[in-house]
Order: sequence, then structure tokens, then C-alpha cells
Amino acid sequence: MSNTLRPYLNAVRSTLTAALTLQNFSSQVVERHNKPEVECSTSPEVLLKPLVVSRNESERVLIEPSINSIRLSIAIKQADEIEKILCHKFTRFMMMRAEGFVILRRKPIPGYDISFLITNFHSESMLKHKLVDFIIQFMEDVDKEISEMKLSLNARARIVAESYLSTFV
Amino acid sequence: MSAEQFQLSFSPLTGVAFGPDRTQVAVSPNNNEAQIYKRSGDSWNLETTLAEHDKLITAISWAPQTNQIVTCSQDRNAYVWTLTDGIWKPMLVLLRINRAATCVKWSPKEDKFAVGSGARTIAICSFDEENNWWVSKHIKKPLRSTVLSLDWHPNNVLLAAGAADAKAYVFSAFIKGVDAKPEPTVWGDRLPFGTICGEFSSPSGGWIHDVAFSPSGDVLAYVSHDSTISIVYPSAPGEPPAAHISVRCPSLPYLALSFVSESSLIAAGHDCQPVVYSGSSDGWTLSQSLDDPNNASKLTPSSTGNRVSSGGVGRLNNEAFAHFRSADTKGQSKSSTASNVAGLTPVGADGLLKTVHQNSITWVEPYEWGQGGEVTKVSTAGKDGKLVVWPISGAGKAGGLAGKMSGLSM
Amino acid sequence: MSTAFRKINIDAFDEDVLLPSDLYDPDPRGVDGVTAESKQKAQEARNLVSKGDTAGALNAILSNPPYGEGVDDAKATTTSALLTILNSTRSADIAGVLKGLGEEQQGHLMAYLYKGMEGLGQGSDQSGSVLLTWHEKLVEVAGIGAIVRVMTDRRLL
Repeated sequence: MSNTLRPYLNAVRSTLTAALTLQNFSSQVVERHNKPEVECSTSPEVLLKPLVVSRNESERVLIEPSINSIRLSIAIKQADEIEKILCHKFTRFMMMRAEGFVILRRKPIPGYDISFLITNFHSESMLKHKLVDFIIQFMEDVDKEISEMKLSLNARARIVAESYLSTFV
Repeated sequence: MSAEQFQLSFSPLTGVAFGPDRTQVAVSPNNNEAQIYKRSGDSWNLETTLAEHDKLITAISWAPQTNQIVTCSQDRNAYVWTLTDGIWKPMLVLLRINRAATCVKWSPKEDKFAVGSGARTIAICSFDEENNWWVSKHIKKPLRSTVLSLDWHPNNVLLAAGAADAKAYVFSAFIKGVDAKPEPTVWGDRLPFGTICGEFSSPSGGWIHDVAFSPSGDVLAYVSHDSTISIVYPSAPGEPPAAHISVRCPSLPYLALSFVSESSLIAAGHDCQPVVYSGSSDGWTLSQSLDDPNNASKLTPSSTGNRVSSGGVGRLNNEAFAHFRSADTKGQSKSSTASNVAGLTPVGADGLLKTVHQNSITWVEPYEWGQGGEVTKVSTAGKDGKLVVWPISGAGKAGGLAGKMSGLSM
Repeated sequence: MSTAFRKINIDAFDEDVLLPSDLYDPDPRGVDGVTAESKQKAQEARNLVSKGDTAGALNAILSNPPYGEGVDDAKATTTSALLTILNSTRSADIAGVLKGLGEEQQGHLMAYLYKGMEGLGQGSDQSGSVLLTWHEKLVEVAGIGAIVRVMTDRRLL
């Protein structure tokens, strides 16, 4: 159903731009500390309503904003067992190298496959519209990568099976 | 006349304050030092560094007549700096807060200043001659969350505060012994320290980022995170206000606002362009943007980063190469949907925003006044480290000389 | 020596703590008033839709929607009525209908769109593409400020 892909990505883009309005906010609970409020959740007034943008049951994006950080969780479409395994391996590969990614979170939020944590320090040192572009590009490319991996996996399996079974013919 | 831009640092300017005659500016480049720059011709040169704080400096205020600078930071301290023998010497302020200080402003007469903090208090500090330090009195009562912004009324007694619990308050900061009894205003008379003269909330519950009194003090405006500007015209103490107008903006929330006259104000924030609103107690509307990116350049404005929709399955590189190649050769990034979404700042082909500021604007103040007392230039500073001075044409006239003098205090 | 004090949650005794329910003013109509009103409005909206007047139906359902605690039935009625209206509007008419809504109603509509997207798939047969089309058109009309207002508004629609 690729005719909903453009509206879906546009909706994610505009929601993410609206959420990336971050500012430096010192912790109200602990003195001299500066923590991402969306991860601490100790003060309800600085947390905003989490929003879900979804295309269908299996593809969703959860955006949890707050005053100095946002958490973005993506649920990737996994149509069958193979895609589930490939998706799990792919996201695990990235999450183990989360430091290199800067904005990636090491563990996804339950119910989703991968999560990002963007803080005000990131939005100050990086251009916000570029961050949004990166996330949208990431969402497009993950789907492509997984389909490509599945195709090459199937092709390899077919070649192996053929060469093995041909010895019995 | 176009805007003058100065790139003072490559990190956000967290505190900005101009000196008395606009030849000096004190800024803090997102660290624990405050730097004073001196203007020479068309650029600013670093003159001195004031290093005393341990953590990020959140706000700076410069008193033009007594030539004192007050800085406050996330390390729960504030210092008052005075120029003695050409060197700026810090003086301790006993704030007695146990969380970060978020904002500071000198009062119009410069005998006291107010500091807002994350400890849910506002500390009003005055000078104690006996012990040669600044002592503070706290306003705690109705505040339930961090104070994000402050502004003084021209009569030196009333103080407006905006907090993270989506409420804007007007308090009396009358200190016996420092202040003379003020004239009655629309906000009230007989005002002991800490009286709440007004409490207003934002229409959809967003944090109040900035509050401002109009030059006469009879109008209060505040911008909040739900992308609205609210203007309050009080009628009498204890009575509901004569008018409480909320303007819903289609753009991203504003972070700073400043009155340029009784009937117009400048707001700026996350969509990186200062805009002028004008109106009266009957209603306020957007009148113009000082930096309209759609008029600025010849490139076809496109929605932020809308990219070429890809053909088949391809590796990441092809995708990126194709996009940058088309941006390079054709000089524009193609937009796959024709619509230009209201509120999104257009991006040029080089990836930079088409507005002058590349990141949110956090501070806006009037910069220069003309012959008749009206504001002719406004300055803004933002998270991209730029300080920009904008000319305004006919945006409004301040109320004569009195208005100009009261507008001078930061 | 009793060490029971170590298990006390000291923050629970803090009187000055800000609760989520303090962050908005409760609905002045009261629980029963809200439920009755929302049933009546949903009925009115369905009638208008069957007559073909989707603009009027939207106007009716989006004025003073139920919010807050304890009115879950009212919220469910309003949401399902609204989704019916959205599904039955032709895509060519959407832009015109949106222009006819007031600012506050546009804001409520944005909130309901997100609520609809949240509920996709858990037993409902709502189509995601309808919601996304409405979302795109509404952002063109009301701007990103409408999305920010949905985030900051604490009242649970």
C-alpha cells in the first residue's frame, strides 16, 4: 500500500518538527543536574502528551515529547517470520553501536522495534531540520534494507538447495 | 536596509545583554563563562571574560545606568559584576535557592534584581550596605514549578513571571527600605511583598516561555509553548481583566517576545524568524515577518527536505547520491508534494535554512530608538550563536521619552 | 532497631507535589452532563451525515468534546461518531470542510486524528490512509502550531 507512504512520512515529519522544540532545562528534582525529562518522568508538568502516527496496525511511530528531550520509537513492518528475524538482527546490530549513532537508544520501548532519544544538546549542536530528515530517511531505508536482505537470503537459499538437491537427481 | 548579522560563537548564546551605549555586549556561549565583546566597526572583538561560575550561565542582565552586570547560572549562584579600575569584579549574591537559576533581570531603577529558579521561587535581591553583599527575599507561594521568565513593570515594584506549570503571574516585589511607595496602577495599590496581582494561564496548557509588560506597564503579554501569544488588559485590582486575548499561531512556539510600542510587539522562537504582531484591546493579529524566507531568495521554496521518492530497491548510497547530485546540478531540491506546509521553515539547496537564523531564536530586545521615541531596530540572538540586528519600519511608536527610558533597562 | 523508615516512599508525603490532574481545569459540565451531551451530539452528527452535510456534522461533534476523567463512554461515543464522519467524506471535499471549521475545532480535530491513529488495529477496522489524508490537509490549513497544541493540551480527549 505504498500510496500511504508519502502521507505517512509527511505526518511523521510534521509531528517530529513540532516535537523538536527543545530547550535546556535543569532538573527540578536534583540540584546541579541536567537530565532528559522524558526518561526520568518525575515532573508531570514538563512532559507532553505522547502521540502515535500510524499507517496501519504494524507500522507505527510513537513520539513522546518533553521540555528538553524527545523519545521516538518506530515499529517496523514485519510480514512473516523471516522479516521478523531480519528486523531483529538489524536493529540489534545498530543498537549495540548506539554511541556511534549519538541519538539512538540502546533498548527499544516495549511494543516497538527501535527507539531514538534526542535531547536539547543534540538539537543545539545539530540542525533540527537535518535531524528530522535523517529520521525520515532512516524509516524509508530500513524497509528497503530488510526487503533486500530477504531477497538475497531467499536467492542464496534457492541456490544452495538447488546445488545440494541436484546431486540426488 | 538589511539585517546586520554577527556570528559570536558556534554554540547557542544562552545569555545576552547589551551595554549602556550598544558598543559592548555580554554574552555566554553555552558554557560557564560570560564574555564581553566590544564593537569595532562592523565586528565584535572579545574584550574580557568573566569566569566565576561552575556551570552553564543561563542569563545575563546589564544595568545601563549603574553599569553593573548580573549573571546567574545552573550552579544555583548569581554574581553582580562591577567595573573597578577597568576590571570587572564579582560580588557574591546570597540567593539561598537550592536549584538552578533560570533567568535574571535588573529592575528599572537598578536598585534590585529578580532571579527565577527551578526551586519554584523567585528571589528578589537588594544591596545590603552593612555587609557589602546582595541579600534576597523569596516569593514562593503560588509557584508550583520552575520559573522560566521574568519581566519588571516600569514602576519598579511589580514583577511578571512565567512558569513551567503554564501560568503567568504578576507579583508585587515591594521591599521596604529600598522602594518608595508606588503609585496605584491597574494592577493594584497597597501592595506588600509577594501579593499576587494577577494569575493567567495559557490557553492549551503550554509552558510560558516569556512574559513582557508594555512600555506603560498597563498591558501584559506572554508567549507559551502551545504556539499562542496571550495579551491581557487588566481593568482593576480584583476584577477580571478588560480583555484577555489569545492569538493561536500556525507556526512553532515562540520563545521570546518584546513590546516595541503599546500596540505592537515582536515575537521570535522556534521557526527562526522574528514576527511583528499588532493590535489593541479589541484583538491582535500578525502584521509582518521581519525575515520572510519566501521573499528572500530566487530558489523555489520547498518544504523542509522533501526528497525525490526513490524508484526501486537500492542501496543507501544511490539514494543519497541522486539527491545531492540533483541538488548540485539543478540548484534546487525537488519537492515530491507541491504543498508548502504552513509553519515549516523552507530549506535552501545547501541544506541551510533560508532564514537568517539557523536555529531557534531565544532572545529579542529593542536595540535602537529613533527621533520620536519609536523603536527603529530590534536585536535577536539564538541557538545558532548569531546576534542579528533588524531594522523595523513603522512598526509602532513608543509613548514618548518616558517610554524610551523605561525601555532601556534590560 | 526498626529500619522500617528505609522503605518509606518519602516523595508520597510531599504535599507540594504537582499532580497531572492539577494541570488542567476539570470539565464544568460534570460527568453525567457530559455523557448525555455527547450522546445527543453523536446522534445529531449521524443525522447530518446521512443527509450529506458533513461540514455541519463535523462542526457539531467538535464543539465542546468530552474530556477528563471518568467519562470514557462519552469519549468512545464521540470518537466513533467522528471517525464515521471522516470516513464518509469524499477526499475532494476535505479541504473545503476544513476551512469551514473554527480554530478551536480544528485543534480538537487534530487531537482526534491522533487518537484515531493510536487506536488503529486493536479490533477497529479504521483505515489508516483516511486519517493520514485528513492529517495532511489539516496541517496545510492550521499549521504545525495545531500539532504543538495537541501535545501541550493536558485534557485527555
